Amino acid sequence: MRSFLTLLGKEVRALFHSPIAYIVIAVFLFLMGYSFTLTLFVNKYATLVHIFFQSAGLLLLIVPIITMRLFAEERKAGTLELLLTAPVRESHVVLAKYLASMAVVLTMIALTGTYAAVLGIFGSPEWGPIYSGYIGLALFASTLVSLGLMISALTSNQVVAAIVTIGVSFMMWTIDTLATMMPDALERILISLSLLARFTPFATGAMYTSDFGFFVSSTLLALFLAMRALARR
Amino acid sequence: MSAPVIVAQNLTKYYGTRLAVDRVSFEVMPNEVMGLLGPNGSGKSTILRILTGYLRPTSGSARIAGFDIVGQGLEARGQLGYVPEDVPLYTHMRVNEFLDFMGRIRGLSNASLPAAVGDVVERLSLGRVRTLLIAKLSRGYRQRVAIAQALLGKPTLLVLDEPTNGLDPRQIIEVRELIRTLSRELSILVTSHILAEIERVAHRAAILLDGRLLSVHPLGTAGDGSRVRGRLRGADEAAVRASLQVVPGVRLVELLPSQGTYILESDAGAAPAVSALVQAGFAVEEVSSSGTGLEELFLGLTEGAPR
Repeated sequence: MRSFLTLLGKEVRALFHSPIAYIVIAVFLFLMGYSFTLTLFVNKYATLVHIFFQSAGLLLLIVPIITMRLFAEERKAGTLELLLTAPVRESHVVLAKYLASMAVVLTMIALTGTYAAVLGIFGSPEWGPIYSGYIGLALFASTLVSLGLMISALTSNQVVAAIVTIGVSFMMWTIDTLATMMPDALERILISLSLLARFTPFATGAMYTSDFGFFVSSTLLALFLAMRALARR
Repeated sequence: MSAPVIVAQNLTKYYGTRLAVDRVSFEVMPNEVMGLLGPNGSGKSTILRILTGYLRPTSGSARIAGFDIVGQGLEARGQLGYVPEDVPLYTHMRVNEFLDFMGRIRGLSNASLPAAVGDVVERLSLGRVRTLLIAKLSRGYRQRVAIAQALLGKPTLLVLDEPTNGLDPRQIIEVRELIRTLSRELSILVTSHILAEIERVAHRAAILLDGRLLSVHPLGTAGDGSRVRGRLRGADEAAVRASLQVVPGVRLVELLPSQGTYILESDAGAAPAVSALVQAGFAVEEVSSSGTGLEELFLGLTEGAPR
């Protein structure tokens, strides 16, 4: 446990040491703040539904930038060799990187909580959809982070890791549109894999255990595959 | 007799369809310095990466201090300190911070960490740079930091991959001295493609070519000067033999007359033979002590190998 906490501390420091974390948080908050203000003044609705969808869309681009370096950079610099020949478990290395990346993403998401506070102070929003939206965003981010981590574990090139993660994430986000052209059985499978279809209920105030289970199990599967990728040396 | 620190049995590694290590077996005893010697691409680094747990062997097995490197990987890795060839370090960390981090993941407690870090800092003369960013350090200091982290937690085995690569002559001498000193406390497995490096520090040399272990050669006391190579101008073989016959403990073992080179075996170093040759009127242009005949063995074993 102690070596895991040491690894986690190192990962958190490495992420916050690089300017990338601050830049992505700043850009994310600027864009979301702009969208929130504009929508609030134009529509005058005390809701964050559009913010949740826009945040999810931006996370598809931002999370791969955070995760691309996790293993790819260590592999290229050779420090992965140093790390994996020390008496640490591969699962601890993977989990530390996952949790550190989640810390950055959750910080980013949590800072948009100021929008909810503004709505609460100046209006009377429905709090249920706001809570479920944030839970959905966190779960959605978890799947993206673990996917990015897994892809980063397969290459030593950060750009390749980022581009492949963006490609796979977008494919999973929009795969339900392809589903309508498929036979029934395949349609159901593709819709069940769609990140958009799984995220929409959370953003609109409905929470289903199946969607919750999807995000948790896809996270665990990607983390497991990342561990397998490390073990396949 | 103590148990071996490394027992490697039939280690084999394929990269795809390419055979990198072919059924390599050897043992390293406590306080022994074993050198892995071979040209680039002969499988030295792959063997180290297997033994340190970074790569899985395709077949074969190895134990470090009794722990199987695959089945008991965590325990096996806990017994060793490793310095990879390109000296990878977290360059965004300060020396102190990096050693603290490595000490913690090596399982040192909060109580023992400061003393352990202080010990390796002193041993590797890192006091002057311990608050600097690793990115700012010279190649020589980075090498010292890498060795320092490998010594944290007092490992049973130190694994060094080409430890003198990229170092200046003074730093090379320091690394050699360090290896000699450390061999009193632990076992060392060191690779080099430079024959003289292995000859100077190792007790035994394992010669590798194309992933195969060709021979394990005892070097005795490293650098004992039991072989002498001399180059004489215009000397003919019969005359050289005649002048050396009268010198006790000196035997002519190999001749390369076309190059004017004669290799002698001497029980008393180079001086008696050189003195006899000079007295006999030969122009001695060059004398070197090759120590153990490793060079001749290496050339003989790898003769005809593609370059």
